[in-house]
Amino acid sequence: MRILRAIFSHPSGRIGGAIVLVYLLVALAGAVGLTPHDPLMQYRIDRLQAPTSSYWMGTDLFGRDVMSRLMKGVGQSFTVAFFSVALATLAGTVLGLTAAWYGGRWDTLLMRFMDVLLAFPAILLALLIVTIIGPGTWTSVAAISIVYTPIFTRVVRGPALSLKARDFVDAARTFGSSRTYILTRHLLLNLVAPLTVQVTLALAWALLTEAGLSFLGLGTQPPASSLGLMLSDARNLMEQAPWLLAFPAVAIMLSILGFNLLGDALRDILDPKTRRA
Amino acid sequence: MTSKFKYFLGATTAVMIGLSAVAGHADAATLRMAWAQDATGLDPHKQTAFSSLRLLELIYEPLVRLDADLKIVPGIATSWEFSADGKQLTFKLDPKAKFQNGAAVTSADVKASFERILDEATGAANRANYLSIESIETPDAGTVVFKLKQPDAPILTAMTDTNSSIVPASEIAAGTIGTKAVGSGPFKLEKWDPNSKAALVANKDWAGGATGVDGIEISVLPDETAILAAMRTGQVDFALLNDPLIATLVPNEPKLQLNRAPLLAYHVLQLNPARKPMNELAVRQAISCAVDRKAVLDTASLGEGQVTGPITAPFFASDPNSLFCYKQDVEKAKKLMADAGFADGFSATVIAATGEPPTAAAEAQVLQSQLAEIGVKLDIKMMELNVYVDTWLKGDFDMAVALNGGRPDPYTMYNRYWTKNGNLQKVSNFADDTLDKLLQDGRAETDPEKRKAIFAEFDKQLAEKAPWIWLYTGYGYIAQQKNVQGFVPMPTGSLVSLGKVTIQQ
Amino acid sequence: MSYVIRRLRAFPLVLIGVSIIVFIAIRLVPGDSITAMLGTEAGLLTPQQRDSLAVYFGIDQPWPVQYWRWFTGLFSGDLGISVTYGKPVLTVILERFPLTLELALLAMLIALSIGVPAGVFAATRNERPADLGVRVAAMIGQSTPSFVVGLVIIYILSAGFGVLPTMGAFTPIWQDPLQNLGQMILPAITLGCAFASSVTRVTRSAMLDVLSDDYVRTARSKGTPERQVIWRHALPNALVPVVTLSGIEFGYLLGGAVIVEQIYALPGLGRMVLEAILQRDYALVQGAVLFIALNFMIVNLLVDLAYAALDPRIRLEGR
Repeated sequence: MRILRAIFSHPSGRIGGAIVLVYLLVALAGAVGLTPHDPLMQYRIDRLQAPTSSYWMGTDLFGRDVMSRLMKGVGQSFTVAFFSVALATLAGTVLGLTAAWYGGRWDTLLMRFMDVLLAFPAILLALLIVTIIGPGTWTSVAAISIVYTPIFTRVVRGPALSLKARDFVDAARTFGSSRTYILTRHLLLNLVAPLTVQVTLALAWALLTEAGLSFLGLGTQPPASSLGLMLSDARNLMEQAPWLLAFPAVAIMLSILGFNLLGDALRDILDPKTRRA
Repeated sequence: MTSKFKYFLGATTAVMIGLSAVAGHADAATLRMAWAQDATGLDPHKQTAFSSLRLLELIYEPLVRLDADLKIVPGIATSWEFSADGKQLTFKLDPKAKFQNGAAVTSADVKASFERILDEATGAANRANYLSIESIETPDAGTVVFKLKQPDAPILTAMTDTNSSIVPASEIAAGTIGTKAVGSGPFKLEKWDPNSKAALVANKDWAGGATGVDGIEISVLPDETAILAAMRTGQVDFALLNDPLIATLVPNEPKLQLNRAPLLAYHVLQLNPARKPMNELAVRQAISCAVDRKAVLDTASLGEGQVTGPITAPFFASDPNSLFCYKQDVEKAKKLMADAGFADGFSATVIAATGEPPTAAAEAQVLQSQLAEIGVKLDIKMMELNVYVDTWLKGDFDMAVALNGGRPDPYTMYNRYWTKNGNLQKVSNFADDTLDKLLQDGRAETDPEKRKAIFAEFDKQLAEKAPWIWLYTGYGYIAQQKNVQGFVPMPTGSLVSLGKVTIQQ
Repeated sequence: MSYVIRRLRAFPLVLIGVSIIVFIAIRLVPGDSITAMLGTEAGLLTPQQRDSLAVYFGIDQPWPVQYWRWFTGLFSGDLGISVTYGKPVLTVILERFPLTLELALLAMLIALSIGVPAGVFAATRNERPADLGVRVAAMIGQSTPSFVVGLVIIYILSAGFGVLPTMGAFTPIWQDPLQNLGQMILPAITLGCAFASSVTRVTRSAMLDVLSDDYVRTARSKGTPERQVIWRHALPNALVPVVTLSGIEFGYLLGGAVIVEQIYALPGLGRMVLEAILQRDYALVQGAVLFIALNFMIVNLLVDLAYAALDPRIRLEGR
């Protein structure tokens, strides 16, 4: 509650939070079928119509309602972004904590491996993974989370190392607390702040990457829609039907903007020290 | 947004100044050409990619060629003749024909070229068409005689293919085919930087006379939107386009002209008759009846093309309306499904390649919505081109959206799929006595009218047995500046007439 | 110094890791060089033809043998032969690299020359309308995917004005600098847009921190002109995080900007790797990814060193 109030009183938090909230509502409405039309229905006689009162954002090549597809697409893009960031956060936290806690060989080995993953050009790594498994929603999730796991591992390991050396962990250890207890209770609690910030920003990147993969035809599969796929489909039609390009482009931009603003606000609120970075 | 637009516009003026300084640099007599997909290699016997053939046919020449009506006309050979029993084919070579290394094209080069094609180790794309060759004789430097094991009418058409080009015997011996391009065609390859650009210069010794331009500069612009943009600004004179969505914008430009050539390649929904329930004739026919081919064409290709039966070569093709269920008939389809015991429909996966052809994803989606009407639930699986090819070759699909290449001769085009020992039997998964026999008959018959009758029957049978659902043929698009003159679009997509194209100033 | 040696010692290990992963990954992708070359016609090959082509492409041996052959070649500077280009992999990479380097440098130049002044400007007008304006612009810039920027630029230029930079036949800078710049400026702006936005944001927040530091207050109280306080005293210290950010971003750009290169048809490294993956040009993919990874690591090392040099408080040993 306190954090919500803090976000609300922070100017960029207010705007970012509002944008994200609106997107979530739109995605929810899309998921439960509250779209103006069936997003998959091909109204053949109404193909490539500019925005009208019955199709607020026009229709696409197949005569499908762009607005309904956009609502579904937001849900799709957000699903991929949320799941991939959740996976990356989970994997990164576990790996980062164990690296910091056990140290030694395990730490070296793990961090070298993360170096290897980081040294890969991110989009190419995602691309390779997607080409191997074959494109699809869950493949995108896997690819994006693998790309971001090393980042989370680093984010967790750094603070975990310095926390580990601090007095209260030592104290807990002398009092005989179990390893797991110390790990979860003290370390994790102290990591919540940097992680929350990182997660919010990572959501913005994940949306961007999903859009990029779909744009290259390697993400969401037709006839489902995602923001990137809609843009990609619009590309060759942008002169006959600019609305096909305009709405998804603005939608992508605003969604990323929302998370960036929210992330900024959270950073200011939770972690004033890191503001300089 | 608006403030950002202004910012870009500011930057634009700077670029425009830069541009005007550069605009006049082009050499007047060099044709600047662009395409989205570059050639993938230089070996004329092995390359099958459309763009490779387009590049190589400007450098190499086959014995005979096709004209715009798909009639056979002289190439390196000035005349040819079948013996009375159809088992001997004699060519007289053009004494003026010369390779770009200065050597004359002799019968020894022809013999060496065909022996290279026939050698299994080469991996030549056209080898299967020449298996009836028994021996090749060279009575003198200007005469070649092919002795055949059996009468083989389509062999002459096969020889018009760029994959049957004549290469110098000396280059074969040196093992440099594929790394160095030495042909007898109108242009010499000066430089090739794959996926970026190629430079061709006129071959002054070309037997066909002087070329109309001094050279051709080919750029690879992977995005067809960019090709159109470059043509609008006059940076490109001539371009190949695949995507009908882009091509249809060309006529809006006052300075540009769009050439359409109906192509032999066909868009098709391949069913896999080896899998249930597509093994049931009634199910396949139901699918055929449920599909509205015209609607697929209108949506996926904006109506740019023609609904087609199995045979696409104009001389042999039947009127699509005479074929089985070429008019959508959902009621009949539902009845057929019910007869086969699938009144409730079934689910299947359809594969398609990303961007190849550009219309693939759209076709799959239209078909998906049409087949849903008879309860067939399609799951679309888009694949990167190579993954698709791999899956396709293994025959590992329920259904596949494909754009398959066509040939001027129906036998050459279809023996691979519909004869019992066809090389791609594994892909078609459909062996049928009638189809096999009709193809064999068509191969042996040398009288054109009788062949036409045989293949008309073949066309009808294939549509009725519906192992695949043939949809439509598209157009090959060539966009050009109006000052480029003399280009003749061909149904094969061939660019050979570039040898005579000129640029008016 | 020992830090540098320690970091450099880790290089070969990471590179071997990268090479093994890319080696396996590219082979796990269905299809091979043969189907990539012949397409569906590959089905017409006899087993013998297939074998002889496999030998030609060097994919006839088991994976470990292939890897060992490639790996040992590395020590003599031999990265293998690219089957699509028919040239040594290193030659192909070095032909493409100048463009990628130039594009990265231009994008960075644009980012710094817009981002740093904008950030300083915003910081000096903290929380006033001008600051808010800059921040909103930067935020939007950072949130717009580069392919959206690219598509919009191309759309406006070609449909609205009928002009475009020369595409396709790319001119290297040493042949015709003016024409080269004409071709590179729009892609550089496209990439520089998001880059400039992050630079602006980082510069602004760093300046705000520095401006509240004691020594700046001291300088102000001594009556030093505000201009001098900002540009002489504050900015150099505020640049530390900007250098870090630019360095990391630059490192990424050296890996090639796949989508922007694709949209503008630039023959850079990113598009080359993409094409190589699609063509199953194994040697080229392996060589290029290794090259990109090495660049990335070198740039990162330099960034860390620069960071230490600029900010004496940082001791590298602890990182």
